[in-house]
Amino acid sequence: MAKNPARAISMNSRLDKFKKNVLLNWRLYVFLLPAILYFTIFHYIPMYGVQIAFKDFYATEGITGSPWAGFEHFSRFFDSYYFWRLIKNTIILSLYQLILFPLPIIFALMLNELKNGPFKKWSQTLTYAPHFMSVVVIVGMLVAFLDPITGIINHVITSLGGSSISFLTSPEWFRHIFVWSGQWQTLGWGTIIYLAALSGVNPELHEAAKMDGASRIQRILHINIPAILPTIVVLFILNIGSFMAIGFEKVLLMQNNLNAETSDIIQTFVYQTGLLEGQYSFAAAIGLFDSVINLTLLVIVNQIARKTSENSLW
Amino acid sequence: MKLKKLFIVMMLLVLILAACSNNNSSSDAAEEEDLDNLTDSGLPIVEEPIELDIFAGKAPATADDWNDVLIWNEYEEMTNINVNWDMVPHEGLSEKRNLALASGDLPDAFHSALIPVPDIFKYGQQGTFIPLNDLIEEHAPNFKRILEEYPEVEKAITFPDGNIYSFPLIYDPEFSALRISEGPWVREDWLEALNMDVPETTDEFYEYLKAVKEGNPSGDEGMEEIPFGAQSINGLVTYLKGSFGIGNKGMDHRFIDLDSDGELVRFYPASDNYKEMLEYIHKLYDEGLIEENIFSISPEQFYANAGEGVYGSTYNHSPAELFPGEHRDSYTGGLTLEGPHGDKAFTGISFPSSTTGFVITSQNENPAATARWMDYFYSDEGAELFFMGIEGETFEKTEDGEYEYVEEIRDNPDGLTLDQAVAQYLTWPGGQYPGILMEDYFKGAEGTESSKEAAEKLEPDFIEEVWPSFTYTEEENNTMTSVGADIEKYVTEMTDQFISGQTPLSEWDTYVETLENMGLEQYMEIQQDAYERYLSN
Repeated sequence: MAKNPARAISMNSRLDKFKKNVLLNWRLYVFLLPAILYFTIFHYIPMYGVQIAFKDFYATEGITGSPWAGFEHFSRFFDSYYFWRLIKNTIILSLYQLILFPLPIIFALMLNELKNGPFKKWSQTLTYAPHFMSVVVIVGMLVAFLDPITGIINHVITSLGGSSISFLTSPEWFRHIFVWSGQWQTLGWGTIIYLAALSGVNPELHEAAKMDGASRIQRILHINIPAILPTIVVLFILNIGSFMAIGFEKVLLMQNNLNAETSDIIQTFVYQTGLLEGQYSFAAAIGLFDSVINLTLLVIVNQIARKTSENSLW
Repeated sequence: MKLKKLFIVMMLLVLILAACSNNNSSSDAAEEEDLDNLTDSGLPIVEEPIELDIFAGKAPATADDWNDVLIWNEYEEMTNINVNWDMVPHEGLSEKRNLALASGDLPDAFHSALIPVPDIFKYGQQGTFIPLNDLIEEHAPNFKRILEEYPEVEKAITFPDGNIYSFPLIYDPEFSALRISEGPWVREDWLEALNMDVPETTDEFYEYLKAVKEGNPSGDEGMEEIPFGAQSINGLVTYLKGSFGIGNKGMDHRFIDLDSDGELVRFYPASDNYKEMLEYIHKLYDEGLIEENIFSISPEQFYANAGEGVYGSTYNHSPAELFPGEHRDSYTGGLTLEGPHGDKAFTGISFPSSTTGFVITSQNENPAATARWMDYFYSDEGAELFFMGIEGETFEKTEDGEYEYVEEIRDNPDGLTLDQAVAQYLTWPGGQYPGILMEDYFKGAEGTESSKEAAEKLEPDFIEEVWPSFTYTEEENNTMTSVGADIEKYVTEMTDQFISGQTPLSEWDTYVETLENMGLEQYMEIQQDAYERYLSN
């Protein structure tokens, strides 16, 4: 009994503080307003549509009018013959991409060591350029280069005495082609944030290290990497947050019956059953399942990061 | 206090009732307006001009905007009905159509929109598409006459609830070139060079392909001939099914046909015949007699190869009409092949009507006028207008009473192909429209001499009965879209894998077992029920 009034007072005083704070800094809060409005209107309000995952959606009844179906769509997905294949393919592909997470960091560190000059500019421009190509063009290039008869890669292989490989129809090649072509496309662009962080490193640290006789590698290891570690951790957590979200257009474009064994992922399945066959409730259920996994992973990884280092999203 | 509450509740009820009855009377009034505005019969259809918003699928071959095309402007003047066409290109058609249906913001009708048959029933049941039975009875005399003439068409388009929800596309059943659509073709000059005849058995077909690969029939040392090439492997599978005694009910059923005892529906992708066929095709693929990247080839690449004249045989529409390059006239229609056990039938034909075509939605305020608008295209004059256009402007009659496009279309000064030239005035190129297609008026790729000749060669071996797509109840549909879709996806994938050798045929038993575990029995029960319902319709 004695505690409650005390808490009420502290709550009150906290509220007062908040009010004062707002009155004092109202200009800053005005700046915040568009972002809050944007997220409310375009992200939070549409969430009421998530309920169609638990309903039998009828177009004429609308979202709220359709009858409830409970977890029927979820159990249908879990019972589907393709469930384990989809989960397996999605996770392996995501893990594969995640393993290559350090590549842009290494590349950024390398670029950072270059003297500012035409060579550095060129290599940056060259590696940024593929980022601006559309996925359709990339896949078109893959199809042209990897063709078993006319493709340039297979020309090289056969002229070296090997036999041509049909890359695009082999399930064992799909993941490599998908992930490495993705790396080729995004590597340069991915370095930008790290380069920005690296430019903030105090040059005095480097000078002091040089005086103490530290080699280049040592300076990278002990100055540059610790300096950008917070950036790395935050980007890593964000990456985990979209763990299950693979660039689905590219997978869809590269997919055929022969490589479906490894290329069939949750997103393409949702597209085919949801949009193309008009089974919205089913597709929404799978999408929701996907998001729940992403969110759980994000929270777990953030928790770990907070415990083990001082850097975390929240 | 209580009384007050009761009073409020009563008032609310009265208000709601009033609102409801109001609604009813207004929709009755709209219906009356619709009927009042109709003329007695013929053209124009309505006294006061009305507008219709129609959602239309745009095939690559047809004009970009039907609002500017001769035929619809002419028809607007004839009927007093102005149609606002909302054109949606085929690439995004499924998404756009499904989104339109899901959003509830509906057009007055869907035209050429490739709506899958189960969807027509689904949205019919939900009330999005209106049943057409009464409208056909009262306002569609031409269509009604056709249904009386071809009762099998009525059977095919009637859904399990006894309703008709769509105006279909009906093919003249005698027009065989159109019913096969795609067919086998072989290089006539290469046959000659190799001193061979058009293959008549699966063995001879193999010999021919082998000879093309090894015999260098083109006489060009630098050319690497490809014995068989097509846009996908499915064409070859369709071609060979009849030689192995499967697929005996036509193209509308890619997974089932009738068992040899003639009573039970058979799931033929699990039959030994299917296995034998896969073995045969795998042998061809393994020996390099089939285009190596047939499983991932794009249409552009296929036509580019075809233009170079490397294909010894193909399964396609008439090469003379579609292939680029100088070799397109060198192909002649192939024959139905006799299989190793004496089976010989051509199974690649479709039911002479396709249920999808034209549906009217619940938001249409003039359903009767809309039905009359559509019905005209089931008459002779309507078919003439739709396929030939206007006499003197787009076509003329020759002395012996045949129809012919004007010279500007036939032999276009700007070098356009027939389809391209026609698309400036008419909207049939691209297909999938509702209406009736008669040989007299149809001059598309299937109506050309080369196609007709090729079809005639296959016609004696046509399967006797062709099933239309079956219709399923809502509950059956739920199973078909879950268990059924998984099974069909599995068969499609495995067929390609067996042919390419990625999965060896020694694993056939595992494949059949997997199918059974996936719920094949349940799937077949539904198909059997659907078949029996079709028989009794």
